[in-house]
Amino acid sequence: MIGAVGAWVLYTYAPTSYAFYPRCPFNWLTGLECPGCGTTRALHQLLHGNVEAAFRLNPMLFLGLIPLALFSAPSFLRGRTPAFIMKPWFAWMCFVVLTSYWIVRNTPLYPF
Amino acid sequence: MNCPNCGTNNLDNASVCVNCGRSLMGGAAQSYTPPPPPSYGTPGGGEYGGGPAAPGTVPNYLVQSIIVTLCCCLPLGVVAIIFSAQVNSKLAAGDIAGARDASQKAKMFAWIGFGLGIVAMIIWFAMSGTAVLQGIRDAQANR
Repeated sequence: MIGAVGAWVLYTYAPTSYAFYPRCPFNWLTGLECPGCGTTRALHQLLHGNVEAAFRLNPMLFLGLIPLALFSAPSFLRGRTPAFIMKPWFAWMCFVVLTSYWIVRNTPLYPF
Repeated sequence: MNCPNCGTNNLDNASVCVNCGRSLMGGAAQSYTPPPPPSYGTPGGGEYGGGPAAPGTVPNYLVQSIIVTLCCCLPLGVVAIIFSAQVNSKLAAGDIAGARDASQKAKMFAWIGFGLGIVAMIIWFAMSGTAVLQGIRDAQANR
């Protein structure tokens, strides 16, 4: 129900044009983009079927989070924690990927 | 994990005990079944009795930390992720006390990050109150 209302608002009112959406505090205070910046805009584009535009707004969301969510959903649905979440390599990889993505997306090296 | 019924050591992803057939499903509840009697002479076991902790008995808050990092955008989320990763490393190394310590810190930083994120968002909405109202008006005008 709340999800449906949220999706309707997100579909109808573009986050780039209206100020009533929550703002990323990091982006607000520093002007830099955080690893999660672009998620709202990407969801808006996705709801309109613009997959490519959504991908450009936050590629990591698509390459990292969505496959992970799909991969671990069966475990979570059964009330269990997927085993890889407790593996040292996985947790350190999350740290490295997130921080390097955070840095790179604020440099001219970032391709999008 | 060890079967709560007969104590047989099963694979972590086993759904039933290979020895007695008892269901091993039940997620979190499984982790908090009463521990076996403490092995004598093990120092400082605390509430867990000092027995070997199965993976999953010390929560690492990794998912929460990542959500805080992505949604509240605060570097504190990254600090929480570092402690989450330490929980995993220390568990893998058998350092249960250290893992529990890192787990507490991961939880603490994730909550502080979450709280500061909420506070920042309230300040943002308060400061941009007129802009928000204007945005709602624009939205109604453009329907």
